[in-house]
Amino acid sequence: MPISGVVVTCAPGHSDSVVGELASFDGVEVHGVLPDGQIVAVLEAESVDAEVSLVTRMHEISGVATVRLAYHNFEDLEQ
Amino acid sequence: MDVSRRNFIKASAAAAAFAAVGGKGLNPLKPGAAEAAEGGLTWGKAPCRFCGTGCGVLVGVRDGKVVAIKGDPQAPVNKGLNCVKGYFLSKVLNGQDRLTTPLIRKDGKLTPATWDEAMTLIASKFKESIEKYGPDSVAIYGSGQWTIFEGYAASKLFKGGIGTNNIEVNARLCMASAVTGFMTTFASDEPMGCYDDLDLGDTYFLWGANMAECHPILFSRLLTNRLSNPDVKIIDFATRRTRTSLMADRYVKFKPQTDLALLNAIAYVIIRDGLHDEAFIKEHVVFKKGKENIGYGLEDKFKFADEPKGISFEEYRESLKAYTPEKVAALSGVPAETIVEMAHLYADKNRKVTTLWTMGFNQHTRGTWVNNLAYNVHLLTGKICRPGENPMSLTGQPSACGTTREVGTFTHRLPADMVVMNPEHREKTAKIWGIDPKKIPAKPTYNATEMFRALDRGDIKVIWSQVTNPFQSLPNLNRYRKGARKGEGRFVIVSDMYPTRSTEQADVVLPSASWVEKEGMFGNAERRTHQWFKMVDAPGEAKDDLWQTMELARRLGYGSLFPYQHPQREIWEEYRKFGDGQGKDLAPYDAYVESRGLRWPVVNGQETRYRYVEGYDPYVKAGEGVKFYKNKPDHYRAVIWARPYEPAPEQPDQHYPFWLCTGRVLEHWHTGTMTGRVPELKRAYPEAVCEINPDDAKKLGIKQGDLVRVSSRRGSVVLAADLNGRGKAEHGNVFVAFFDENKLINELCLDAYCPISGEPDYKKCAVKVEKAR
Repeated sequence: MPISGVVVTCAPGHSDSVVGELASFDGVEVHGVLPDGQIVAVLEAESVDAEVSLVTRMHEISGVATVRLAYHNFEDLEQ
Repeated sequence: MDVSRRNFIKASAAAAAFAAVGGKGLNPLKPGAAEAAEGGLTWGKAPCRFCGTGCGVLVGVRDGKVVAIKGDPQAPVNKGLNCVKGYFLSKVLNGQDRLTTPLIRKDGKLTPATWDEAMTLIASKFKESIEKYGPDSVAIYGSGQWTIFEGYAASKLFKGGIGTNNIEVNARLCMASAVTGFMTTFASDEPMGCYDDLDLGDTYFLWGANMAECHPILFSRLLTNRLSNPDVKIIDFATRRTRTSLMADRYVKFKPQTDLALLNAIAYVIIRDGLHDEAFIKEHVVFKKGKENIGYGLEDKFKFADEPKGISFEEYRESLKAYTPEKVAALSGVPAETIVEMAHLYADKNRKVTTLWTMGFNQHTRGTWVNNLAYNVHLLTGKICRPGENPMSLTGQPSACGTTREVGTFTHRLPADMVVMNPEHREKTAKIWGIDPKKIPAKPTYNATEMFRALDRGDIKVIWSQVTNPFQSLPNLNRYRKGARKGEGRFVIVSDMYPTRSTEQADVVLPSASWVEKEGMFGNAERRTHQWFKMVDAPGEAKDDLWQTMELARRLGYGSLFPYQHPQREIWEEYRKFGDGQGKDLAPYDAYVESRGLRWPVVNGQETRYRYVEGYDPYVKAGEGVKFYKNKPDHYRAVIWARPYEPAPEQPDQHYPFWLCTGRVLEHWHTGTMTGRVPELKRAYPEAVCEINPDDAKKLGIKQGDLVRVSSRRGSVVLAADLNGRGKAEHGNVFVAFFDENKLINELCLDAYCPISGEPDYKKCAVKVEKAR
């Protein structure tokens, strides 16, 4: 299963509501919120397909400006 | 994967994300865990394969496979974070339908062949055509995705060996107007500023640039700047409401083509209200005008030469009188008071202003002019060359700058801004290449559009396309797709990593190695040159394009042009002789091996952040302040051009009442040949849709998701209507992305181009929209 670490940047004042929404996403763990409101999360999914659709859904949350990828491990995928 | 390894990797993933945003105190990674998570991976650095931003990535390899990707924390461009396209790097190399063997068309069918068979056939076709019809009957069409070495070898073989200027690139379709804009205003290609401007300015004007989707990492830098500085303002001038508009402080919508008038109106107000910087203008600027009513390049063999004429400041001011805010409001749809407000914002002495644009300006039948007009505003206000205050054209391909522009892989260009028309430039090039200067023809042949027109007419017989997909990406595509298959001696070769709409047009298909399957260098939009090494083997018999070009050279008898033991390193050392002492200085190869890219000119091991300015640029001496030192004929000054508004060649009318604009979306890159391989991507944004304004849709009885037929005078395509998607069409406009190989929207586009740059306009043609039955 691929695993990735991402940073979510929000419009000012939206971090709390975004964290709230992310809590309902299967496969997303919020690891922390920085003082400037940026959110660090770890994604785990069955496939890269599922990971990217998680990111696409995260992008659609109201107040989310960008979702950026810091680390992506897909070592046990059949390639 | 066992639980403890999963936990290590998850901790590693979180740690990388925390580190990238400066949250080291929150880092959950315990000592020793990092090492465990690495689990036998070796890491190498490379720039991302996709756009022109030039983000650094670390590529994790185990057992000969790429198994992990990190944003490179040491990369100044992206500081440890990649956009969503970073996920696709995991699969780009490993698509199921990867080409692994050469293919030769036999009885209409592409059939596996050996490299020797394929190269023998290609060489015989080249020889036969050159013998019968001369060197201008063969051509190569490359790309801003060529490595610097691949572009250099192609240029050397065609211009210096075969003796034809028939070399063009897809960058003609995306960057050519930026080149002619820079050349006509500053006499040197590429920006004075760099990405640091995104962090250091406070006022950002975006013109027709959907940065949130097309340059997400750079847009993130703007947003981060704004998070720490509440005075930062982002103004989005556009013809379509996008994610960028949503995040901007202001969205200013305007009618297509009226950017020309708006920039003139802004200049008009700046001068009218005395906001211009008289001292800067007196010292650093000259004024010129060129020809007007310059045509649109719609006829085959269209030719144009500008006739620049010096004018006074007074004459320039006079020329702007046609652009009062009131007149331009009527033309553009932007209220007069908004134009005045924006002019004052541009000129505010307490604001550091950066202007950013991309295809909205460059793919424009007056692309050179609109680039000139953007520079005018910066030159009038003296806001240029200093940190946070610069105009900059962003790029779409990873080495549109490093390869096509700097190496000069266009019909008229040679390395380091030199041109074939200039005898001294040919002489210098011939000396470095070790050939007779007479070998390089003095006349340019065809720009990209004209090259495929020549193939259609039969003036070009043999054409080789590398790392690009012209038979999906050209405008007025029907003509060029049919032209390529007319027979009568035409022979098309396509090198690619996957089957595309271009390989299906080919007589021979060659399987190419890509990205970290080979050693490479790319140059990004801020003059930064990156190097990487080969990390994994290409599948099957795929080989890199540098090898392919040199192999053709050998078989045509030009092997002596490529006498290299270690081609990449030796080509670099040969190539950098062109820029030495020219303000285009590049460092020795090892400097790039060690660094995360360097911005040229690199003099005495030091890169240059800001050009033309004392204290940053080694070519500007103490006491000189600002000096546009590449423009010697104008006494080292930049040029403010009087350029008028002229209408688009085809405008909506009663039969074709909508403007069609084409472009990209976040999840797909260009023609989708790499991103389309990834199945989840296709699900996220499975096929192109037609964005249409809800009011327009209502009048036509179209509902969300209805199938609609979009037609121009050249072609037609059926798409699902999207009334309320991520991008929102303004009244009278529709937008369609061009990634979808099953919906060839470029068949509808007009092949009109900017007469100065030769770049086509994919953003404006007239279409009708009907409910499909």
